[in-house]
Amino acid sequence: MRTRIIRDIPFNRVEGDLAVSIEYGDGQITDAWSAGTLYRGFENLMKGRGALDGLVMTPRICGICSTTHLSAAARALDAIAGLTPPDNAVRMRNVALMTEHVQSDVRQTVLMYMADFAHPAHAAQPLYEEALRRYAPAAGASAIDVIRETKRVLETIAVLGGQWPHSSFMVPGGVSFVPSQANLLQCLQIVGAYRAWYERRVLGCSIERWREVDNRAALDAWLHETSAQHDSETGFLLRFGRAAGLDAIGAGHNAFLSYGSLDLPQETSVVSRTRQLVAAGVARGTELTAFEAARITEDVSHAWYSDQDALHPAVGETRPYASGQEGRAYSWIKAPRYDAQAVETGPLAEAVIDGRPLFVDIVNAGQTSALARQLARLTRPATLLPVMETWLRELIANHGAPIIVGNGQVPDGEGAGLVQAARGALGHWVRVENQRITRYQIITPSAWNGSPRDATGQRGAWEEALLGTPVADPDNPIEAGHIIRSFDPCLVCAVHTVHRR
Amino acid sequence: MAARIICVGNRQVQGDDFGPRVYDCLAALPVPMDVDIVDGGLAGLGLLPYLEDGRRVFFVDAVAGFTAPGRIVLLAADEVARQCTSGFDHAAGLPYLLKVMPAVLDSPPPTVTVIGHEGAACAQAVRTAARLALHLATQSADDACRA
Repeated sequence: MRTRIIRDIPFNRVEGDLAVSIEYGDGQITDAWSAGTLYRGFENLMKGRGALDGLVMTPRICGICSTTHLSAAARALDAIAGLTPPDNAVRMRNVALMTEHVQSDVRQTVLMYMADFAHPAHAAQPLYEEALRRYAPAAGASAIDVIRETKRVLETIAVLGGQWPHSSFMVPGGVSFVPSQANLLQCLQIVGAYRAWYERRVLGCSIERWREVDNRAALDAWLHETSAQHDSETGFLLRFGRAAGLDAIGAGHNAFLSYGSLDLPQETSVVSRTRQLVAAGVARGTELTAFEAARITEDVSHAWYSDQDALHPAVGETRPYASGQEGRAYSWIKAPRYDAQAVETGPLAEAVIDGRPLFVDIVNAGQTSALARQLARLTRPATLLPVMETWLRELIANHGAPIIVGNGQVPDGEGAGLVQAARGALGHWVRVENQRITRYQIITPSAWNGSPRDATGQRGAWEEALLGTPVADPDNPIEAGHIIRSFDPCLVCAVHTVHRR
Repeated sequence: MAARIICVGNRQVQGDDFGPRVYDCLAALPVPMDVDIVDGGLAGLGLLPYLEDGRRVFFVDAVAGFTAPGRIVLLAADEVARQCTSGFDHAAGLPYLLKVMPAVLDSPPPTVTVIGHEGAACAQAVRTAARLALHLATQSADDACRA
């Protein structure tokens, strides 16, 4: 077999600090290497700062999921202080985090993932003209509609957090203030309006109807049930995705991780099978095991860091070292592993671990794919929006109840804040000594999904997902772009200088 | 006429921290009641609600390729929007925001001016940009256009 290595494959749209190289032979991808090309070093930036500084600093890691970093930072401080926030604080934190998710899920799918459907490489597809009309960058009807509608829901975070952007209202033991009942009612109206739009345009049906779709046959029936469902964003994702073969590529390790997220208040009408709305767990296929944070390690054998054994993030170091690696290292991203195994994280992992029947059926059938991953992302708001409304109603009904325990201070100690970000598992591991941060380790979802190889040669999640992918044009491997974007790689949102083109 | 100064960029990344540094400078200055100052950070499309109340808007940001290093340049919204040559991604910034702005706002688009600084910025440049932003924001709309 003749093979050819294509370095830094030309994504049709820039993901500046991500470089993916593929080996191509016999019409398919035979190997892949994913590199983060920017050393960010936030962990070292945090050392020596005040114990509470993570609440202000870490939300600035990312322009899209700043509330998630705030949530992880606050949970780490809760753990150090041994504090359990009161119910209303839990509700406020959760609703803010869920707002970020429901906005990001739709934006990422329509503005990033489905935008690729309008790429000229798909011009021969029968649905191409419609894709162009819907998703042409910055002009397609769906793209404009999504930007217009998703901007409104963010006002919920502004109200709950007291400001936007850079809300830092989550503090050790709870939240720093509570909005008035009138403002909470405003949030309920905003979320209700977003839900109505989501049902009308994204699903084409009620959330209740969508949640009845519990296997692949039911999904097919749903797709052809009404014109609204057929023409919805979800319907188009399925129709175009299948026509383009996205349901047959991008399987990967078929191993999934969720830290669990969204603690249930002690008193709530929301029902879940665990004490969190999003369950923690690890799955090989659909075979579940309990998640134990102690089994996480970070391998740096193929990353530009000084040599060390694979260590748990509570004891690991971030010591950049790009010399003397003799070509083995190729990324600034470490390689997180669970029980020494590579796993993927994100909405599909959440769905499998939560036991959502449609996605369990898909994975059980061996049909894990780029399309399944994206379908899980686009339809996740159907599990979140009704609960957001419930928790806002409970906040209004219980207005005046405590929002914080403790004195807002953090003693010396160490703890971890684990949450689910929009694109998967996010963890902050923090140690405080003499009221100063002496250690701060962060593992992002894109580190889990976009890691390089580890010492055993095991590929990262999207490296593995690329293997065996048929590629029509190796000089423009758009198929690889579809797979990687189904993980929503987030490596570049930190720098936005205006460049003349 | 009321105005808003929105300073954008990443204060943790040298070269992209011009906007946040100008924000810090403005925050220490006396600002008229009808001028709103926003630390816009990396919020991108999340800043759209700040463009919907009819105020004139002045963005402050680092720029590259518009003028000589060390200089400040005033750019109209459409010129910045023209720099948007691709779709939305994690790196989408002001060009994308300003390109979609007319189509996605619930109100008529505001008059937008970008106060850009090219290259590494010294403390004097930050102070100059802060004063310029305040000056423009407190001018009448007609004067600001002529400036």
